[in-house]
Amino acid sequence: MATTSAAPRVRPSAARTGQPRMAPGRWFSELGWRHLVGVLAVVFAMFPIVYVVSAALSEGGTLTGSNRLFGEVSGSNFSALGDSMFWTWLGNTLQIAIATGVGTVLMGAAAAYAFSRFRFRGRRAGLTALLVIQMFPQMLAFVAIFLLLIGLGNVMPVLGLNSKLALIAVYLGGALGVNTFLMYGFFNTVPRELDEAAKLDGATHAQIYWTIILRLVTPILAVVALLSFISTFGEFIIARLVLQSERNWTVAVGLYGWVSSLLEANWGLFAAGAVISAVPVLLLFLFLQKYIVGGLTAGSVKG
Amino acid sequence: MSTQSTLDDTSTAAGDGDAPGRPRRRRRSPGTPHASGTVGGLVAKLVLMAVVNAFGVFAILAAWNEESYGILAAMVALLVAADWVYFSRRTLPLKYVLPGLAFLLVFQVYVVAYTGWVAFTNYGDGHNSTKEHAIEALLVQNERRVEGSATYPITVLERDGELGFAVVDEDGDVRVGTAEEPLAPVDGATLDGGTVTAVPGAELLDRRQVLERQDEVTTLRVPFSDDPEDGSIRTQDARTGYVSTSTLEHDAEADTMTDVTTGTVYSPSDDGWFVSPDGERLNVGWRVAVGFDNFSTAFGDSRYAGPFLKILAWTFAFAILSVVTTFLLGLFLAITFNDTRLGGRRIYRTLLIFPYAIPGFLAALLWSGMLNRSYGFVNQVLLGGADVPWLTDPWLAKLSVLLVNLWLGFPYMFLICTGALQSLPGDVMEAAKVDGAGRWRTWRSVTLPLLLVATTPLLISSFAFNFNNFTLIYMLTNGGPRFADASVPLGHTDILISMVYSVSGLDGTAAKNYGLASALSIVIFAIVATISAITFKRTKQFEEIS
Amino acid sequence: MRRSIPAVAATLGLALTLAACSGGGADTPEATTSATAGGGGGSGDLVVWVDETRQAAVEEAASAFEEENDVRVEVVLKNFEDIRADFLAQVPTGEGPDITVGAHDWLGELTQNGVVAPIELGDRSGDFEQVAVEAFTQDGQVYGLPYAIENIALIRNTALAPAAPATWDEAVAAGQAAGTPYPVLIQTGTEGDPYTYYPLQTSFGAPVFAQNEDGSYSPELAMGGEPGHAFAQWLQAQGQAGVLKTDVTYDIAVEAFKNGESPFIIGGPWMLEQFEGLDLSIDPIPSAGGQPAQPFVGVQGFYVSAQSENALLANDFLVNFIATDEAQLALYEAGNRPPALTSAAETASEDPITAGFAAVGADAVPMPSIPEMGSVWAFWGVTEANILSGAAEPVAAWDKMVADIQGAMGS
Repeated sequence: MATTSAAPRVRPSAARTGQPRMAPGRWFSELGWRHLVGVLAVVFAMFPIVYVVSAALSEGGTLTGSNRLFGEVSGSNFSALGDSMFWTWLGNTLQIAIATGVGTVLMGAAAAYAFSRFRFRGRRAGLTALLVIQMFPQMLAFVAIFLLLIGLGNVMPVLGLNSKLALIAVYLGGALGVNTFLMYGFFNTVPRELDEAAKLDGATHAQIYWTIILRLVTPILAVVALLSFISTFGEFIIARLVLQSERNWTVAVGLYGWVSSLLEANWGLFAAGAVISAVPVLLLFLFLQKYIVGGLTAGSVKG
Repeated sequence: MSTQSTLDDTSTAAGDGDAPGRPRRRRRSPGTPHASGTVGGLVAKLVLMAVVNAFGVFAILAAWNEESYGILAAMVALLVAADWVYFSRRTLPLKYVLPGLAFLLVFQVYVVAYTGWVAFTNYGDGHNSTKEHAIEALLVQNERRVEGSATYPITVLERDGELGFAVVDEDGDVRVGTAEEPLAPVDGATLDGGTVTAVPGAELLDRRQVLERQDEVTTLRVPFSDDPEDGSIRTQDARTGYVSTSTLEHDAEADTMTDVTTGTVYSPSDDGWFVSPDGERLNVGWRVAVGFDNFSTAFGDSRYAGPFLKILAWTFAFAILSVVTTFLLGLFLAITFNDTRLGGRRIYRTLLIFPYAIPGFLAALLWSGMLNRSYGFVNQVLLGGADVPWLTDPWLAKLSVLLVNLWLGFPYMFLICTGALQSLPGDVMEAAKVDGAGRWRTWRSVTLPLLLVATTPLLISSFAFNFNNFTLIYMLTNGGPRFADASVPLGHTDILISMVYSVSGLDGTAAKNYGLASALSIVIFAIVATISAITFKRTKQFEEIS
Repeated sequence: MRRSIPAVAATLGLALTLAACSGGGADTPEATTSATAGGGGGSGDLVVWVDETRQAAVEEAASAFEEENDVRVEVVLKNFEDIRADFLAQVPTGEGPDITVGAHDWLGELTQNGVVAPIELGDRSGDFEQVAVEAFTQDGQVYGLPYAIENIALIRNTALAPAAPATWDEAVAAGQAAGTPYPVLIQTGTEGDPYTYYPLQTSFGAPVFAQNEDGSYSPELAMGGEPGHAFAQWLQAQGQAGVLKTDVTYDIAVEAFKNGESPFIIGGPWMLEQFEGLDLSIDPIPSAGGQPAQPFVGVQGFYVSAQSENALLANDFLVNFIATDEAQLALYEAGNRPPALTSAAETASEDPITAGFAAVGADAVPMPSIPEMGSVWAFWGVTEANILSGAAEPVAAWDKMVADIQGAMGS
């Protein structure tokens, strides 16, 4: 940062048009270093991924035993996925992850709104309790969740074991917690004058929430949706406990099954599955990116 | 820079907002109607509540039918709460919190409470179930086939409303008996190829009937003769029968087990075993409450005293360093790409999310392969055949764990910081720039404080997550390299939660003890929760001062 | 644009919730039937837990059984690693399976927790290999239906080494003569692999536990003392000579052998799938310490849940439909493990590879199933790895290991 601090201040509007005219030294201190950092960071982030892709494209083989990247290239692992239930798992995972993501955003945002905008008894204690409860080490949770779902399943089979809906419900149990905090912080950055003004105009709290606040915090809603989607996508400990029959599995459960027994591990298939299952996450990120980084809020907050 | 404290709650706001804001709010809450501002909103609310009530009533009825009174009570409570919250005017905040809260209570608080309860029991190997199951298992395990006895083809029949067996004995004669009547020869039975096809005065059960009553069939014992010493006939598949005797008997009234061969009487003990007067105990026990025993054994084993302090220190170092490194890298990258003039931002950002899109367990396994000393990608390819003992040297292993966790965790921080930077009020930044603050100063005195306010709770929970980051340690190093001087299987990269895994036998190196594991989890929870709550409080104060 | 996110999200959410509900709805009839049937105390679905390698074979046997008995068999795929813990946790709740696949060394733990029911094999017990039935026997009762016997042996690439080595030193010499990067491959890893190293250890006369006269194990450690020290010193020598390395993991060893980088690998039939195309011979493991090198033999089988409401069906299925030549051969073909049923084993032995493993298995010792065995693994492997890598002094480390295991067993 030190090198850049001396650089003169440039208003964004001027800079956008001024880029081609920048001198090389200036260009580096303004933008060039960012590319340098970007390339380094991408190399750090990507080289293990390249390794996985190479394993996915090799025929059979192992994940850890070979350093010859792309020594052989074949699509056999990808076509072999068709013989497994991989695509069913992917469908399940998408259902579960999207439902959980949407539910998490709705519930988390509502709670964050309440904590941010209303003053009520137990508010501070509630916030602290939320922070604390999610810190419980989940290692032993499986016994309790299992018993709970047996009980619920007796009453309402759709919420029992081996139901995707039950798994979504379990995931939604964590919808408050960290997400509420994430959103709470940003709800607080929305000036209160906005709701006060709307209130004077006769808007109800529900209208303020749905039409004013939610629009202003879109970046963080998108971030929470993405975080929730990703963590649901990769979660396998609770998923494999709840989803017992193979056709209900998620991708993570299925993939874990392929490598959990090292003696019978099928690394090639696993790597191919991992590569494919990363695609929805990346697509979602690309889709949400414009909401996360579009800078849409700046104008309206100013008003 | 008093504007930034708008972010905080009570005192808030910052000069201009507070004084007029609060009274107005007070005036409004009892007075203004809410959610009825628009007809559409009201209809939506009524429809939603109708659905919720319909579902709730259905669930309550179902619970009543199934006699699940715990669920019934919880459902009634939730439904009443929902109706009260959404139709009362005094419950404004709860209207927004309740949906998430309901899920939280059912699926998280219950889990914590259940673990809390297990911590006071001896649930684990040998005490895996209820006393009834233990008695059943003991009786089953101690029923033996009489040595040298024959195998009898049997047929299940019903006579005078009683289930019985028809047996073809060694001489080819048919004998019939029930639980009450010992086997006795019958006349007039017909045989086909060694199995009985008809018995006068009794109805033979076909396969379907047998399967419908399979519980009765497998528990049926037909005395072989008038002499109980001869044992009784039983079957496991309704095709062949065996003569067996029990060596153990349960006296339901005295609640004791008696070994009929030796006459020893075993009575139930407080810790969930059947014990004989001279201290010998039967193999299968049951789950009982043991008070604070688990908590005292947790700290009682001297073999763990030495490694414990080292592990505690490393756990803190690991959790704190993980948060700091991932946050700094994520923040740095977020700032780097937060310049609209930068070409290819979308590509950079998308590629940087990649590590986060790969399931964590895979990443840890992958890295453990790549860090292999002689064959790993890192040593062989990146370092050109170096011989760096990444995972086997105590300090390098710690460094590797942090490095891998940095790889796994920075995209999360990057995402959050990017979202945070975008949500910062633009006018504040503009104002700072207009004031002539340099980039570094703007960043230090405006951006960073604002970011920290929004992200501190996340940093705290990231700390808690890493404090309990079992998967990473387990998959990457499994705690290794081992302490050379300890007598327990613990190592330099073990953290508290992986130590619990080992101490309580969940890793298979000792008898499994869920009670002990739960007790230790509760202790860890207490530690983390206290630290977090204090930190949280501190940051609040900090915010208010600044 | 800005308005669209919540709207899209809400619509999407609703649609998905409905989809999830209808998906759940589709499951309901089944769930309800099995629940009511289970509650009714009989003729519900027979639930069998299997892992991936046995799924197809069990399903095949199940379809014959379904036809004959007019019941449904639900074959549930589980990860083999999860089965033991899940079975222990779920059987007491009444939710577990009726039958599960499992290994014989779980027996001690399963009976101690009262989750398995005995199986009366009756006269059929004579149809199985003796070691298989013995492995599933505890205190005179048989608790599992064995279906496969597995053990490791020396797998030799005949293109690189024409003759079977009689001793370890011969094997190393032959490996060096072959000019390959590795003289002999043994999977090790930084945590060691005592299972694969066990035959070498027994060749020094240092078995893990003392055996009673009837072949069962007593919880008395037998690997200390002179023979143990000799083995430890041998490990150190191999490590110093660079013959064995802790960096060689399972993956690396298999990959190297597949690529013709060594004439020998010590391993089991589960590796064979990877070695297609190589001309292999299965030989006894060469002795390093002069005495016979006896690997552990493991027996795979099926357990019946103690809380099964379909005990009759379960027993019938196992004794009359799994203990058949067809089922055992199907299982054999799925996992390459020699069958436990003698007649099926004979058929399988027409394949020289299987016959080779079976011949080595004939001299092997069953892996102890006593609960004390659990206390051994964690210390054993790491000590071996540390001696190999030169991180520990052999005799002292071995003695410390024996003492630590004693401590763990006593606690």
